[in-house]
Amino acid sequence: MTITQLPSTNEGGRPLLPTGDLCRPGGFAQSMDVSGLVDSGNGLVDRSVFTDRRLYDQEQARVFATSWLFLGHVEQLQKAGDFFTTFMGEDPVIVTKDKGGRIRAFLNSCRHRGARVLRADYGTTRAFTCTYHGWSYDLEGKLISVPNEDGYPAETWNRAEWGLLEVAQLDIALGLIFATWNPNAPALADQLGDMKWYMEAFLDRDSEGTTVVGGITKWVLKGNWKLAAEQFGTDWYHVNMSHASALMVLSPTGKGPKADIVNTPGRQFSDERGNGTGFPTHPKSRFDALPVHEYYDYAALAERLGKARVEGPLTTGHATVFPNFSYLPVNGSIRVWHPKGPDEMEVWAWTVLDKSMPEEVRTAQRLYNLRTFGPSGIFEQDDGENWSEIQAISHGWRTNTVPLNYQMGLRSERDDGVYPGSTSELYSDAAGRRFYARWAELMNTPAWHEGAE
Amino acid sequence: MSEGAVVDEGVMVAQIDDIPDGEAIKIDAAVLGTADDVAVFNDGGEFFALDDTCSHEKASLSEGYIEDGVIECPLHAGKFCLRNGEVLSMPASVDVACHRVIVTGSAIRVVPNPERLAS
Repeated sequence: MTITQLPSTNEGGRPLLPTGDLCRPGGFAQSMDVSGLVDSGNGLVDRSVFTDRRLYDQEQARVFATSWLFLGHVEQLQKAGDFFTTFMGEDPVIVTKDKGGRIRAFLNSCRHRGARVLRADYGTTRAFTCTYHGWSYDLEGKLISVPNEDGYPAETWNRAEWGLLEVAQLDIALGLIFATWNPNAPALADQLGDMKWYMEAFLDRDSEGTTVVGGITKWVLKGNWKLAAEQFGTDWYHVNMSHASALMVLSPTGKGPKADIVNTPGRQFSDERGNGTGFPTHPKSRFDALPVHEYYDYAALAERLGKARVEGPLTTGHATVFPNFSYLPVNGSIRVWHPKGPDEMEVWAWTVLDKSMPEEVRTAQRLYNLRTFGPSGIFEQDDGENWSEIQAISHGWRTNTVPLNYQMGLRSERDDGVYPGSTSELYSDAAGRRFYARWAELMNTPAWHEGAE
Repeated sequence: MSEGAVVDEGVMVAQIDDIPDGEAIKIDAAVLGTADDVAVFNDGGEFFALDDTCSHEKASLSEGYIEDGVIECPLHAGKFCLRNGEVLSMPASVDVACHRVIVTGSAIRVVPNPERLAS
């Protein structure tokens, strides 16, 4: 009900690219067989997946070019001409609402000489005009004005062939906009599968839906994007160690949470499409920010979402939708890990709030999110330090050639009859193993755009 | 805008409420008998009229951005003075024609520039 299946557009193929006599030579994009780099059966990963430039380029062509990728929240676009810019992998994109009210996403690169057509983060416009030579595109991506157009020979010039490239598919799930360049990608609902049930515990608490506030917080981190995506999918394990000081500061006694909270049981969901989420399960699972805790009627939430979700994925937990969209329900953080070369990522993070929340609750949750998981948040800095530290030493030969361990909870996944799909214990690398298994599967499968090669 | 003008001079094109502050409407050339469509702008409660088509490339100035007596073309950001059509910014290099506006009560009338009548 909350996933809008939009028609798979032909616009994704439009315009048919005039290629003239251009043709990349055979073997131009060399693909490596990565099956020796990920051993999900034994829980081992070769460290080169975080450092190798060739793998990184292959990742752009086979993982990011084929997968559904997160663009933003529907509330970022209110009326025709509203736009924001983001990235799909390393590809810059414009996301806008056209005159018909439909959300569209275009490659933010002028068809003429390739400059970014739009350099603003967000705004409202009537046309997209490249500042290099002045080619202008309308909200539907059509090329509408070319200075000195008479200079192009009339017998070969066809302006209709030079519109902005559009994504192949764009869909909305629970207020989140996703798109893919892949015309053959299965529906977004299929990519999410059981994961949607867990996402609803965060994004469907309120019949009015969610909104985003405070803009997008963006920061640069040294570290391969997969370090972050993997951790949000599979890693509760680090919490008590990495975040020890933050947990102590936030506890009433200053000595940390009570033992039954520290040693909580929980479940970790994972699927063969690389999605993962983990969460403590506790009858008293509650929101951390006091005004938010007091705002929610947990009985009503149990009525709406079911007891299992209120005791589990509603509050504290972590999640990654493959490949690079992650979220934290308890503080309303959603984020995308934009790859910027093998050694660097940009974190783009939003604060999501229920629309029905009164102003003081919104403020409390927004500040709680910034203080914990904003760029200078006391938890976020712990995580960023870990990833940057790992990356900083990863290029050493001895370091790079030592396999990494993803063996916790090996073969412990099962259907527990309570939480949908396959779950393991909270402390587990199950979702990490499946994240890399999916990554390897895509890396070893010729992508939709490689058909002609 | 001129005070005390002859009430039936020009052509009534809109009521002042039809054009919110900071916006513009496009009047079809056939209505005014002009060579080009005419854009009528509201800049802080003052109304102005210019030829609608940008002198640089084909673009409707009625869809442009109005600020401090200046209209900026929506496509290539050429700028023109709303009072007299004078070009103020590259990449445009040629003025656009200006038409006289008369506001009487709530009625907006445009007096076509005699040099811009359809031939």
